[in-house]
Amino acid sequence: MLVRDIMKSPVVVAECDATLASTYSLMREHGIRHVPVVRQGKLVGVVTDRDLRLATSALSTKPFSPKARIEKVMSQPAQTADPLDPVEEAARTMRQLKIGCLPVMSGADLVGIVTGLDLLDALLRLTGVSMPSGRLEVGLPDHPGELARLAAFLAAKQVNIRSILSHADADDRIRLVLRVGTIELKVIAQELRTQGFEVLWPALSPW
Amino acid sequence: MVIDVYDPNYLAYDFGPAHPFSPVRLEMLLDLLHELGHPVGPMAPQPVSREDLLTVHSEEYVSAVEEADRGEPVTDPDRFGLGTPDNPVFPGMDQAARYLVGGTLLGAHLLFYDKAQTVIQLGGGMHHAQRDRASGFCVYNDLAVAIRYLLDHGATVAYLDIDVHHGDGVQTIFYDEPSVLTISLHESGQYLFPGTGEVHELGKLHGRGRKLNVPLAPFTEADSYLRAFSAVVPQALAWFRPDFLVVQAGADAHAGDPLADLLLTTQAFETLFQRCLEYADKFCRGRVLFTLGGGYDVHSVPRIWALLYLTIHGHPVASELPASWRQRWQERLGVDLPAAMHDPNPAYPPVPLREEIADHNRSITNRLLDSLMPYWYGSV
Ligand SMILES: [Zn+2]
Repeated sequence: MLVRDIMKSPVVVAECDATLASTYSLMREHGIRHVPVVRQGKLVGVVTDRDLRLATSALSTKPFSPKARIEKVMSQPAQTADPLDPVEEAARTMRQLKIGCLPVMSGADLVGIVTGLDLLDALLRLTGVSMPSGRLEVGLPDHPGELARLAAFLAAKQVNIRSILSHADADDRIRLVLRVGTIELKVIAQELRTQGFEVLWPALSPW
Repeated sequence: MVIDVYDPNYLAYDFGPAHPFSPVRLEMLLDLLHELGHPVGPMAPQPVSREDLLTVHSEEYVSAVEEADRGEPVTDPDRFGLGTPDNPVFPGMDQAARYLVGGTLLGAHLLFYDKAQTVIQLGGGMHHAQRDRASGFCVYNDLAVAIRYLLDHGATVAYLDIDVHHGDGVQTIFYDEPSVLTISLHESGQYLFPGTGEVHELGKLHGRGRKLNVPLAPFTEADSYLRAFSAVVPQALAWFRPDFLVVQAGADAHAGDPLADLLLTTQAFETLFQRCLEYADKFCRGRVLFTLGGGYDVHSVPRIWALLYLTIHGHPVASELPASWRQRWQERLGVDLPAAMHDPNPAYPPVPLREEIADHNRSITNRLLDSLMPYWYGSV
């Protein structure tokens, strides 16, 4: 999954000489919290609703006037992503820098924006259920060919794999969660066990 | 008055000897009822017409089923969910599936014209079938066709699904329909097929707040199940006040079922059936249509559906199964069958994490009711 698959476009932008007040209205109007700032069509920073609130807060020692220009309070330079970056790369950047969005640049052009919510949508797409399927969870030893062995078994049963998630657990074992397109998963789990696979779900009956 | 609906053509809905959805379960049931002294004297349906099927299914899909049935190669059978391990194609599939739909539709017709107050359709319950796709052993969605018929005659319908799997086909077909309340109790889709049926699936547009899901944890036992059932179902029916109730009475939430992990007993099923009848009396003048559904354990399924039949008819429940029935089917199937109508108590050894599972189900139930309140009673 790439950034271009999850980004929002076109992007609502503000000119650098826009006021804090007008940018706040712009955010309210579009229901957004992140606005890239441009000067003569070129990206120069990002302003968030938090930037505006902090800048104008009565708690601030020197609050800005609502008529101040946003270039005074924006974050710059803007951190950006490329449309062809993998989604996880964008997530890592945002997490490391603790920022809530990445404007997406194709060469010199601003072509989209990715926010934390878009990443949550991506997570839902990766883990969600788009076709009727059941959950199969298998622990595999961490060496080559294990996944192929599992996939070959399911292929021989003519069972369709709808999605796969994997992560290494504490014992350096790979835990795979597959959504597979059959209602008869417990039967398949039993056969996998007899083939020597460690099936974590469907569970054996508790007695 | 109770009317039974059944046709011997139901037995032709048969995916083959190795497939769990076997007509043997139905034969065992009919034979058991006969031996118990209650031979089924059913009304026999016609197979559903193409026109009636198209009130729910796409033309393209029905044509694909017809082609597959004639042995013609279907372009892209995968797209229609046909020819999969769950839904293999067999000769006569279209016709057999149409009889099942015809039966459920006949039930709806009998209720609508007051020919019966209660109908038990001894088949059907094909709740996974979608508009343009076979799924989970289901080809045509008899429940949706019957519900659509009632809607088209101006009625409102509550659909209650106690099959262990989420009633995804029915829910999806009526997802934006305000005149249909769907309630499905099932093992959570996080684990079990078809994967849907989460609490947040509440319907869309005018149907919002009218599609209810109670996804229960694997290894949920009868007490916890019945608590969730009683917390949600009567309250929903009291709010919705349907003209008719349709119940999909799948038997696969039983502890012995090979395809799922809920732990209901025959006693729990009897209680559920009694409550369905009570709620029908209380909230829709007793007008209720029961269908069968999933259920793949020959040890429990005939007993559960016999209990359904006996409860609906108000017949006493014999404590022992007829010895001749038991002997005949033990020989035929080569398995040992229980001698009593009800499960032994306890029916299975103690379950680890029992309290955690019950707590989880309680919180799921509360979350569902909390999220419904704004739709039912306005903002709180
Ligand atoms: Zn089922």
